Amino acid sequence: MGTLDKLTERLSRGVARRTSRRSTLAWLGAAITGAAAFPVLPVARAASGSPHGGGDGGTHTPYATGNPQDPGDRKSCDYWRYCAIDGFLCTCCGGSVSTCPPGTEMSPITWIGTCTNPADNRAYIISYNDCCGTSSCGQCMCNRNEGDRPQVRPQSNNDYNWCLGTQSSVYNCSTAVIVGVALEQPK
Amino acid sequence: MNRRLSALVLALAGLAVGVGATAGEAAMRGVPNPQQARVDYILKCQGCHRIDGSGDDRSNPPMNGVVARFLAVPGGREFLARVPGVSTVNLDDTRLANLVNWTLYRFDPEHVPADFRPYTPAEIGQLRRHPLRLERAATRARLVAGFSQD
Repeated sequence: MGTLDKLTERLSRGVARRTSRRSTLAWLGAAITGAAAFPVLPVARAASGSPHGGGDGGTHTPYATGNPQDPGDRKSCDYWRYCAIDGFLCTCCGGSVSTCPPGTEMSPITWIGTCTNPADNRAYIISYNDCCGTSSCGQCMCNRNEGDRPQVRPQSNNDYNWCLGTQSSVYNCSTAVIVGVALEQPK
Repeated sequence: MNRRLSALVLALAGLAVGVGATAGEAAMRGVPNPQQARVDYILKCQGCHRIDGSGDDRSNPPMNGVVARFLAVPGGREFLARVPGVSTVNLDDTRLANLVNWTLYRFDPEHVPADFRPYTPAEIGQLRRHPLRLERAATRARLVAGFSQD
């Protein structure tokens, strides 16, 4: 028993002699901050599987057409046509990449962007027609925003509700329809 | 013989299509690049004004069959270059002049005056420095009231 007491006393005195309380606090603080910052680093976001804030954590059944000219999973936020989208993917909501779910109406007024098709590296003009009339679908949230502009440029901003020109302005989900091929010029 | 004849017919048909397309584009004065204008319309205008320029009467005024009528009333020519969608679009003056002239021929060819002077990049650049804002709707209503009744 006496030996154990001696050992403990020696260890404690050793630690107290070699370190200061302030340096311990500083070290502890740095460790806590570092641990908190790790999940926002790009490596951690890549590993989590939903890089664009949302999605369903990869639990859905992939939906691909098998067309080599139009590659990718249309239920995934990474699908090439979704490069400027901000909303729920209609492919996860009972519709498709170009049609609305039953019971909703497609808005004729849309937010338009361009996306590069990885199959041929050409820029296609994409129309993000919103589907309107029933409350938010809530599946496969996808927010990528390439080419999005601040709200002072309303015609180039996708944070607005684009359910305009429809019977109802209630937003359900978003489609991504190809409407043309962009020219080889900047902007 | 028969094959040669059909080849000739095909060649003639191709020529006719080519001539037709050239004539259509040549008729658009001030539009050096119609293909560019079409793509710029899709990118910058179509989302609100719709594919046929029909728009609606609430936020996106119709252009189909009406846009070139503004050229016939005082202040109308300036108005077309100063509306928010035109003056604040992120295109340079050359591409914007190309696009505005194309829009007039594309959506309202019958109202383009015979002596129409196409917008030049310099004129567009000068007018867009004074964009219309909240007074846009009232200005449009005043100009439309001045349209002739025919």
